[in-house]
Amino acid sequence: MTDFEPTIIAFVCNWCTYTAADLAGTSRLAYPKNVRLIRVMCTGMIDPQYVIKALLEGADGVLVSGCHPGDCHYINGNFKARRRIKLLKEILPRFGFEPQRLRLTWIGASDGIQFAETMNKLAAQVRKLGPSQAKLKMVI
Amino acid sequence: MRRKIGKALVVGAGIGGIRAALDLAETGYGVTLIDRAPSIGGVLSQLDFQFPSNRCGMCKMLPMVERDAASQFCLRKGLFHENIDILTATELSAVEGEAGRFTVSLREKPTWVDAQRCIGCGLCRTVCPVTVPDDFNDGLSVRNAIYLPVPHTVPNTYVIDSVACNRCGECIKVCPTDAIRLGAGLRRGFRILVVDDEAIVRESLRDILDEEGFDVSAAASGPEALESLDAGAYHLMLTDIKMPGMDGVELLKAAKAAHPDLIVLMMTAYATVETAVEAMKVGALDYLIKPFDPDALIPMVVRPFEQLQASRDRRLDVGAIVLSTGTGYFDPSAGKGNLGHGVHPNVVTALAFERMLSGTGPYEGRLLRPDNGEPVERIAWLQCVGSRDIQADADFCSTICCMHAVKEALLVKERYGEAVACTIYYMDMRTAGKSFQRYRDRAEFEQGVRFTRGRAHSVSWDADGRNLLIRDVGLDGSCREESFDMAVLAVGQRPAPATEDLCRLLEVPTNAWGFVQTEALSACRTQRPGVFVGGATAGLKDINESVIHASAAANLASRAIHAAGGGIAPEASGEVVYRDVSRESAAVLMVLCACGEGAEKRMNADALKRRFEKDPSVQQIAVVAESCTDTGWDRIAELVAGGKANRVLIGACHPYAYIRRVRQLGAQIGLDPSLIEVVDIFEPAWAAARAGADQATDGDVDPVLAQQSTRIEMALARLKHRDPDPPPAIDVIQRALVVGGGIAGMTASVAIADHGYAVDLVEKEDRLGGNLHWLNRTLEGESLQELRDAVTQQVTQHPNITVHLGTEISGGYGQVGRFITTLRDAEGAVQTLEHGTAVLATGCREAAAQSYGHGQHPAVVTQRELEQRLADGTVDPAGLSSVVMIQCVGSREEPRNYCSRVCCATSLKHALTMKENNPDIAVYVLYRDMMTPGFAETYYTRARQAGVLFVQYETTAKPEVDFGDGGVTVRATDPILGKPVEIAADLLVLATGMTPRMAPALAEAFGVETDADGFVAEAESKWRPVDAIREGVFACGTALSPRSVVESIATGEAAAQRALRILDQKRLPAGRIVAEVRHSLCSRCERCIADCPYGARVLSPDEDRILVNPAMCQGCGSCAAVCPNGAAVVRGLREKSMMETIDAALAL
Repeated sequence: MTDFEPTIIAFVCNWCTYTAADLAGTSRLAYPKNVRLIRVMCTGMIDPQYVIKALLEGADGVLVSGCHPGDCHYINGNFKARRRIKLLKEILPRFGFEPQRLRLTWIGASDGIQFAETMNKLAAQVRKLGPSQAKLKMVI
Repeated sequence: MRRKIGKALVVGAGIGGIRAALDLAETGYGVTLIDRAPSIGGVLSQLDFQFPSNRCGMCKMLPMVERDAASQFCLRKGLFHENIDILTATELSAVEGEAGRFTVSLREKPTWVDAQRCIGCGLCRTVCPVTVPDDFNDGLSVRNAIYLPVPHTVPNTYVIDSVACNRCGECIKVCPTDAIRLGAGLRRGFRILVVDDEAIVRESLRDILDEEGFDVSAAASGPEALESLDAGAYHLMLTDIKMPGMDGVELLKAAKAAHPDLIVLMMTAYATVETAVEAMKVGALDYLIKPFDPDALIPMVVRPFEQLQASRDRRLDVGAIVLSTGTGYFDPSAGKGNLGHGVHPNVVTALAFERMLSGTGPYEGRLLRPDNGEPVERIAWLQCVGSRDIQADADFCSTICCMHAVKEALLVKERYGEAVACTIYYMDMRTAGKSFQRYRDRAEFEQGVRFTRGRAHSVSWDADGRNLLIRDVGLDGSCREESFDMAVLAVGQRPAPATEDLCRLLEVPTNAWGFVQTEALSACRTQRPGVFVGGATAGLKDINESVIHASAAANLASRAIHAAGGGIAPEASGEVVYRDVSRESAAVLMVLCACGEGAEKRMNADALKRRFEKDPSVQQIAVVAESCTDTGWDRIAELVAGGKANRVLIGACHPYAYIRRVRQLGAQIGLDPSLIEVVDIFEPAWAAARAGADQATDGDVDPVLAQQSTRIEMALARLKHRDPDPPPAIDVIQRALVVGGGIAGMTASVAIADHGYAVDLVEKEDRLGGNLHWLNRTLEGESLQELRDAVTQQVTQHPNITVHLGTEISGGYGQVGRFITTLRDAEGAVQTLEHGTAVLATGCREAAAQSYGHGQHPAVVTQRELEQRLADGTVDPAGLSSVVMIQCVGSREEPRNYCSRVCCATSLKHALTMKENNPDIAVYVLYRDMMTPGFAETYYTRARQAGVLFVQYETTAKPEVDFGDGGVTVRATDPILGKPVEIAADLLVLATGMTPRMAPALAEAFGVETDADGFVAEAESKWRPVDAIREGVFACGTALSPRSVVESIATGEAAAQRALRILDQKRLPAGRIVAEVRHSLCSRCERCIADCPYGARVLSPDEDRILVNPAMCQGCGSCAAVCPNGAAVVRGLREKSMMETIDAALAL
């Protein structure tokens, strides 16, 4: 499965990580091409069902990324995300997904390089796991 | 957004300028914000990490109410506000008129790339053959001649450094939008005459300038030159000074007489530099010293050439001018230069070091030695380079460097821990701000940053020639040396470039060092009415102070415009009425930009059309050429007008470039701009182009097309579900309450009332004036009694201010727009007030002295007591022979671990007074770190010159006082002598600092949080320094943190300006993305109330339902994620829209 190009849904906050992703783009940094950015105002608004939905719909990996702790535009939304994602990782196996398919990171607005690196790492991690079996299972 | 009658000009678009511009724009003024640089952001565009979070957070400066008038993305990326016109690469060139009625001329410098056409694709950069050091990274990396001045800004328009550019024209060939104008032809039209008696100089100059593309002629003598000048129209003359016959200066005079517009540059040998300087006085632009380096010559010629090319000055009528031009920095390579900067690559400035830590920096955020790229293990920060240095003509402190060094050391420690040893060499660690001392303590005691008191005098190579050897002299006079991998120089402030010219233009005086001089007792007023300073223009400031001063300057500007009757009429802008499409199902007009010729082939419009015409919500798909141009835009308008679309999706390039356009289109076609979306479909194509040719296709699907389809599909999913009804709004009671009648509260009251709004000023005591009843004068000698009387009179006579003396707040509730507060006077009479905002100015008192025998011995007094006794004559310096002052009594250590900021200045003030009255008096100041930031440093110098003795002590060896035989004996260890000393004192003065007076009940009434020391907790210490976390409540003066009278006045003005943003409108609209409650689904579990970080949600007891205050809600969506019933929803980001977007993202 070395040439498998994973599809990754990245839920990014409007203030930090979206800006970093944009910077990665304008700085021409290489990151996996099948990354789909979904911008939300704050990671604190990411309902776990969005992550589960993305995985069920066939995403091979999901990234949730917001502002660094202490830097949230909305004071503390990223901490709420952290709590939620931790719990979500616990229950992902029940849906048939490896918890490694989900990652939570903090990427600041000027960390374009970090964004690209994070995406590359996540893609590599997901490549090891292989394509998501969700769609196949759904068909069955 | 409504526009007020009145406009302002803000010069300088750094953090101060942005704050001032936003504050004015949010109160409805039209603002023109200009900057000399090709991008906004000032020095902060280079700084990624801010104290105390060691992160950014600048976006918190964006408007909190009526959010949609401004951009809603990272502020370091860029700024948009409906009422702000941003003009970059623009300078102020002339000013006429007076406060309220200025006419200014603005001159735009050419950047040689058409910002309207450049789409930031970056193809030009890949072909540019030139590399030069990149200023953005302080020279630690290189860039091309065509470059992005700041890598993370939008619009990411490239500019050309015309000095570095060799005009090869390669970039023109690859630019897909034909945006580059090299001006090669223009250079040929710039005629230069070279005059020198030596043929070799003439010829070489001719060759150099010819190669640069200019039209060059030469003359061998003065008379010959004059002949040539008469014969042809020359723009610039480059003349030698020393020539036989007519010399250069005579030629200059004659040439200028006949051709006044001629630009003249002088060339001279070292010996005649003075003559050259004289020549500049009679009209020469500049001079060059022979033999010269072409690299020095070319910019000198290019600059006037570019000025000539500058588009004609734009004239503008404005009511007030705010200067926030920031600061310049001392060049450590110049002058004595014995700290190795510019010699050893591992000696860098603090700014360069900050760039090294940045992800966009030269080493991608890794800490590497600049000389060999190896990891760094030992770093030394050297403070006061070009500050607090009389030899460098810098008898001032640069205020911010201490905290900057601590922050940098902490950043290193947090990332690398033990692996990197951090040492800070300092003279006094100036932690004179809220929470600074604890931050320093964290660095020292938790992270192991080493603080070494001493000023490094030289940096050289160590024995093996690999590392730096730093030498300094300890307090005891011993020479010390230590080896480090890197040295970071805290370079001091200098006036911002061109401050002198700007001040001359504005007729505003400068101080002894060339900084803008502000008026006595004001941080922001200049001598010229209507011209104010905000930010660091009048001396370097940290972000907190820059932002406060910028808001204060905005307030003064607003009052100047208001006082002039509103001044100049605004551009016509009636309230736009948008079509009500809330009952229509989504009908999207999809526009695909075909871009320019170069790009057309990169988009398969037919395939995209085929894919999306099936979507029932897509009403029409059209391909428009060059949608970014006026023609393209008119075509889109036509298409909407012709069809019945109620949403518009434009597939083009960078959406940020279209913000203003989208709003204009919305107004033009009567469609709410939030229903128009731009999606970047070209980036995948550019990426493929940059990656080289067309990538191999995965089977049948063209990868570029697939990415474009997905992008469009996701945008469509968002757009379809966008809420079409206008955002909610709240009613505002246009009346303010100010609590506290000290100088800050009085200032805030007047600053609000001057705008015509009613103010209730509540004071607990039976008189106004607060601490100004005992403070006599400032360090600078200004009378505070006169100030108190003048401001008190202003307040009591103001028709809009009602003063409630002897009154306390007994309770209150409500939210921004409508607070209900109960007052109780001394007789117990109760009164209830309704108001839209509240300003808390409850102030500080001098902390009680609990040590050194205060209260036991009559010769022991506090600074406050001394101030009073010097004023009323009970202490007469003539009758004293020895006075000891102890600083930091009970301060800067737990539990009061903060610096009170004013005590050092107060001690200097008293010491100097006593020395003036009695030169024979011995004054000893026992201090930990002398805190005289900024220009107060001069008084420290003066005190030492006057013979005041300063003895430093550490908390481990505090001074001791003994009242043996009735007298006072102070014992301390003098670190210079290295011995204990004993001083017999006639008077012992204790600097105890300040403690806040905010009563807990009062804080509770307004829902204000206080910090551990009892000061009001700001919403954000740097970006919202006078706002409480609760919207609509502001604080000023020493209620926030200890500060001087002048600084308190500035906070009063700033708080007033922040309050005016709310008071200024009867109805205050929220942002579009705002929370709502679906009451039928709500189980009133109140989890959302607990989760809302802004306190915007309440359970209404009357209605038994959850209510959202839309002006307080910032649309973060926490409530939606926490709600177990799906009852808390966020407009604009509803679940359905999110789910469909996820579907769209995974459709292919």
